[in-house]
Amino acid sequence: MSDQTAEDRTILLIGSGPIQIGQAAEFDYSGAQACRALQEEGARVVLVNSNPATIMTDSEMADKVYVEPITVEAISEIIAEENPDGVIAGLGGQTGLNVTAELAEEGVLDEYDVDIMGTPLDTIYATEDRDLFRQRMENIGEPVAASTTISLDEDESVTDFDEENFRDRVEAAVEEVGGLPVIARTTYTLGGSGSGVVDDFEELVERVRRGLRLSRNSEVLVTESIEGWVELEYEVMRDADDSCIIICNMENIDPMGIHTGESTVVTPSQVIPDEGHQAMRDSALKVIRELGIQGGCNIQHAWRDDGTPGGEYRVVEVNPRVSRSSALASKATGYPIARVTAKVALGKRLHEIDNEITGETTAAFEPAIDYVVTKVPRWPKDKFGDVDFELSTAMKSTGEAMAIGRTFEESLLKALRSSEYDPAVDFSAVDDGTLESEYLVRATPDRPYAIFEAFARGYTTEEVVALTDIHEWYVERFGNVSSAAEAAMAGDPGPATELGFTNQEVTALAGGEFNDTHASWLPATLHVETGDEPDEEVATDGGDGVSVETVEESSVGRRFKQVDTCAGEFEASTPYYYSAREPLSDIARDEVQVDRDVESVVVVGGGPIRIGQGVEFDYCAVHAVRALREAGIDAHVVNNNPETVSTDYDTSDGLFFEPVTAEEVADVVEKTNADGVMVQFGGQTSVNVGEPLEAELERRGLDCAIMGTGVEAMDLAEDRDRFNALMDEMDISQPEGGTATSEAEALDLASDLGYPVLVRPSYVLGGRAMDVVYSDEELKWYIEEAVRVSPDKPILVDEFLADAVELDVDAVADGESVLIGGVMEHVESAGVHSGDSACMIPPRSLSEDTLARVREVTEDIARALDTVGLLNVQLAVRDGEVYVLEANPRSSRTVPFVSKATGVPIAKLAAKVMAGATLEALSAHEQVPEHVSVKEVVLPFDRLPGADPRLGPEMKSTGEVMGTARSFGKAYLKAQDAVGKPIPRDGTALVDVETLRGLSQKREDLSDIEESVERNFEFTTPDDYEDLEGALQDGEIDLILSRDRDLLEVAVDEEITYFSTVPSARASLEAIETADEPLDVLALSERPTERRDWGA
Amino acid sequence: MTTAYVALEDGRVVEARARAPGRSRGELVFTTAYTGYEESLTDPSYEEQILTFSYPLIGNYGVRSERFESDRVHPRAVVARELTDDVTEWLTDEGVPAVDHLDTRDLVTGIRDNGAMKCGIAAGPEATPEAAREELADCKGMSEHTDIGAQVSVAEPETFNSDGDAADVCLIDCGAKGSIIESLVERNATVDVLPYDATVADVRHLDPDVLFISNGPGDPENFTEAQALVEEFAGETPLAGICLGQQVVAGALGGETEKMAFGHRGVNQPVRDLRSGRVVMTTQNHGYTVSEPGPLDVTQVNVNDDTPEGLESDEMDILTRQYHPEANPGPNDSLDFFDDVLALAEGKQVLAD
Repeated sequence: MSDQTAEDRTILLIGSGPIQIGQAAEFDYSGAQACRALQEEGARVVLVNSNPATIMTDSEMADKVYVEPITVEAISEIIAEENPDGVIAGLGGQTGLNVTAELAEEGVLDEYDVDIMGTPLDTIYATEDRDLFRQRMENIGEPVAASTTISLDEDESVTDFDEENFRDRVEAAVEEVGGLPVIARTTYTLGGSGSGVVDDFEELVERVRRGLRLSRNSEVLVTESIEGWVELEYEVMRDADDSCIIICNMENIDPMGIHTGESTVVTPSQVIPDEGHQAMRDSALKVIRELGIQGGCNIQHAWRDDGTPGGEYRVVEVNPRVSRSSALASKATGYPIARVTAKVALGKRLHEIDNEITGETTAAFEPAIDYVVTKVPRWPKDKFGDVDFELSTAMKSTGEAMAIGRTFEESLLKALRSSEYDPAVDFSAVDDGTLESEYLVRATPDRPYAIFEAFARGYTTEEVVALTDIHEWYVERFGNVSSAAEAAMAGDPGPATELGFTNQEVTALAGGEFNDTHASWLPATLHVETGDEPDEEVATDGGDGVSVETVEESSVGRRFKQVDTCAGEFEASTPYYYSAREPLSDIARDEVQVDRDVESVVVVGGGPIRIGQGVEFDYCAVHAVRALREAGIDAHVVNNNPETVSTDYDTSDGLFFEPVTAEEVADVVEKTNADGVMVQFGGQTSVNVGEPLEAELERRGLDCAIMGTGVEAMDLAEDRDRFNALMDEMDISQPEGGTATSEAEALDLASDLGYPVLVRPSYVLGGRAMDVVYSDEELKWYIEEAVRVSPDKPILVDEFLADAVELDVDAVADGESVLIGGVMEHVESAGVHSGDSACMIPPRSLSEDTLARVREVTEDIARALDTVGLLNVQLAVRDGEVYVLEANPRSSRTVPFVSKATGVPIAKLAAKVMAGATLEALSAHEQVPEHVSVKEVVLPFDRLPGADPRLGPEMKSTGEVMGTARSFGKAYLKAQDAVGKPIPRDGTALVDVETLRGLSQKREDLSDIEESVERNFEFTTPDDYEDLEGALQDGEIDLILSRDRDLLEVAVDEEITYFSTVPSARASLEAIETADEPLDVLALSERPTERRDWGA
Repeated sequence: MTTAYVALEDGRVVEARARAPGRSRGELVFTTAYTGYEESLTDPSYEEQILTFSYPLIGNYGVRSERFESDRVHPRAVVARELTDDVTEWLTDEGVPAVDHLDTRDLVTGIRDNGAMKCGIAAGPEATPEAAREELADCKGMSEHTDIGAQVSVAEPETFNSDGDAADVCLIDCGAKGSIIESLVERNATVDVLPYDATVADVRHLDPDVLFISNGPGDPENFTEAQALVEEFAGETPLAGICLGQQVVAGALGGETEKMAFGHRGVNQPVRDLRSGRVVMTTQNHGYTVSEPGPLDVTQVNVNDDTPEGLESDEMDILTRQYHPEANPGPNDSLDFFDDVLALAEGKQVLAD
């Protein structure tokens, strides 16, 4: 292979599919980087990924882009069509690795003579199979935790054993590794699904049972618990000549026992002496050589101080591929792991690959950094009230924020601020006992805040160490943060600013106003309102005349420093920066090298990935940057999500790795002398910063505009009353409704409207805490338990448009004309959050007249809101009448889907019109696709035990896929395949029609569903089973159509495909009818579109 | 908190926080290693220098004498962004001034752009900018410390592992790190350590299997006694050298050395072996380098700036390294250097038999 020149080769790159817990945007970043690297070497790149919301699936990223399911079936067709020479498996996460293994196992790679490039298949098996891995480690003398496997033979299934036999197997395993507690882990799954520390035998038996079912190779691993040891990761790179380097190590603040994806992580390690660090470095190199890995990989160690100068360690596991950690390591050090991995896979050696950051050194070096990096995860705790978010060996977080500082405290505070997480508890209402047992001993998303709180209550470092098991060095520094806050509250702002609080935070601590979006941490005793309530005037008033100006005057400033891979040893030219407080004297030289004299714009990113704000907003931000650069304008990015393309150092003209707050974004504006800021592309994070940023820019006297649609118009769209008035003025229908500030008012409103009604708090978007209630009782419960209505926290009560067809429209307006990107028809009807509904382009149930009205309404709203840039309108159609549900003059989560389905780059068009171009001048035009594209969502229920697995008004999905075909049925079928929940073609179906009606108001006729099921399946109902749960566990049921929560929770556990609404049930049955049609695999650029206007 | 001042050759006086009090002066250099501060601070090659850590947080895992490379702290003063109490107490006890809370990245990039510079430090209650400037005025250049070997070398010969059954190594102590001796002893060599100014007769008396010139501080041209040994024994006894040792060997055999702008100090210096193509990471701490290898073959080079990292002569049985194969701090990627040296020495034993 290495004899062949790169130019001759076609390379298949497999992406990682939808965003899900355990596999987020990092693979878009690595895939996009790899595409560029491979093309630089002259290779022809063919890319496949089912996730449309990615940069890597943009047509210009590869020679051919397939948005198709990542399944053996689909990829085999692509291979037959494209005839690639090699496939790179190590850049598509576990998904890419698994499908490559399957392609090899099924002989597809042999048949078409496709090499696996980089890391060989044997190595993948050796790292996935615990037993094999342990054997290999023992062979080379590397210490691993004692472990054993419980596995099933090919002809066995969990249900074959009697209970006693099964328990004996588990007991024997426990004895073999030295008794409880043990770790039970399922192999061949993502993000450690189904693994955890268990100290109870009964619990272990249940876990093993479940694990055996979930595992791809019917194995559960039982391991000696090394809980409490320091957990470390080493990122390693190796080339074909056996040059092998460590890019960095990462130290988990939370000890072993908590998944590294769930842990607060610091780079480089802080508490490991050189001898121990070098021993683990040696171990990493030895292991990687033994396994024959080529390219980037990641190895985990557990370490403890056993009294020797270097301590002792165990090898925990190896990821033979680029991972979430490698994205973090790349951003933390400036070393582009995916890029180098791709080049190494082509046969390049490390010293032959340039270090783009310095421009004068090569990839054959170990980065040195002169700052501290902290990563904190972001959990969907606000979305899943029923789920226990205790941190464990299984991942529950959806994303992460990273921060860079010159001290750990600074880095931690910046990371917490970037995560935009508000503790789910008011600590002032928590007694000491509860604080200890529930928030310090138990690791939860709130623990960092609990540690601050403990120090504020006078706990000592030793006490906190004993309660948390966190290393003393870290705990001490949490204490420093707490005492600095205390000093600021007592009137001395010095320590708090030096430590890395923002001036706004310090002002709030000192009793002044907090005029920003997010705070890192403010003590519970300080009643400052922060977070998601942009409309609320912030509480504390300026005690003692403290203002941000007085804080600024009396404290040290912030300077931007460069991320240069070499700790200052070489001059670097890459514009990658972070800010740090200056100690004492103001000697620092200015390191920012951006051109202040040209026209430039700051694009504000979306921060960590969370439910409701996914990779699609990074896609939008990146498109905005690219459009600006195409238009000859310098584009700078402010963002803090290490997984993303927007934080790649070569995406923008200036990358500022910072929290998204008004104060910190204003710093970037000031430093770059930017002419404008774009806040419409980074989801709610960037939109929220608009208003305080505008005020901050004015306060500093900076001549910089918020570009595109004004902050005022965005506010108008979100202000219920004003928006209603505007719609009335234009004769646009809306569901009836109103605002209630008390329970009595709400009940009155509901009785006027008639149940069911849609209820939600007025101050949150994205469906948080939204519900449909059917009676006075339910409404009362909602008000008392869910939102606690009050005059300053009103709720909205709306007519519920049951069984209406919902639509999403994405459009671009330049102030004059409006371009419609696409009209999407939801599969689900009202009552399911638009973000969770499958949807299709083009719509199929709208008449020409309705579509024309949709166009008219969209254009009217665009003009009424003086929209310049993107506009998303959500509509409902019932009996031919078009209602507006919501309008948002900013990027929406459907923008990438629309662009991929139609071929019209609406995010780029939007950025260009915001920068002053007209749609006409850009020769922009609308396109209607001839094939049907279906967007389907990925739901995280299998990762979140206890979650309600039914679709409803609250958004729960983490990501999306796109399936495209000539018919809706086939496209829907492909989308389900891509989600990884394929619709069974036959077998036994369990149909529970009555519960399925749940969301539907009308007693409609569902006999079509029953008939269709009978045609394809053995039709059963819950009454046909004596022990329904048992039947589910025994695999007797292949498909479930039901809305019974308990039943569906079992279905989630057992990985049985189910549909919980009438429309999705119908769609799935329609899809089954297309099972025998060809798969219809086609490159994105080859799907035909028609150049015409929507609804015209 | 008391104040400190750091006076720099470029004219600036930087304010800092005094951690260990005192006045001091030396050549301001930086290392980019994050770990290994105990090993670096006890490395004799830092004699007459002020060591700045580019990594901001130093002292995180305490201070333990098992990790020392010699019996005292060698830099004349220590500069970091943030020093822990542990490391501060140690430096205070050792009488070595230490300062933090200043922008060390700025110092580092200043050194990068303008070269290693002279520096004066005053730290503690009495400290003034003037005091720091006075120290700076008295600061000598590294090459002017002509008898620096005397400050770092053993005064009397010492023997380690006298019963070793591998080769007999005569180590000329120009400021040797403890790990060099340990690495040899671990391979069961007998190590006779002689002072930096040992004479030809002293070495002849030992009749070693290999003559090994250690690392050390400052300008290799000031180590004239060691150079004389190399001249005398080259071709007769196998020769090895590390760091300053490589420079002494090259200089003595007709090669040349020169001062670098700011040297190499860190644990991530990439070195490529010209024969195997393989790149390894090395620990380095040097401000001078071999500019002309004379009769020696360059077998390894620095990937960043092509400076010679390994010199050899098959004919004369010479094997030297510019970097520190003994690690401590830093990667253990090149420990096999010691096996190669002992193999050279055993070659001599075979001949002698």
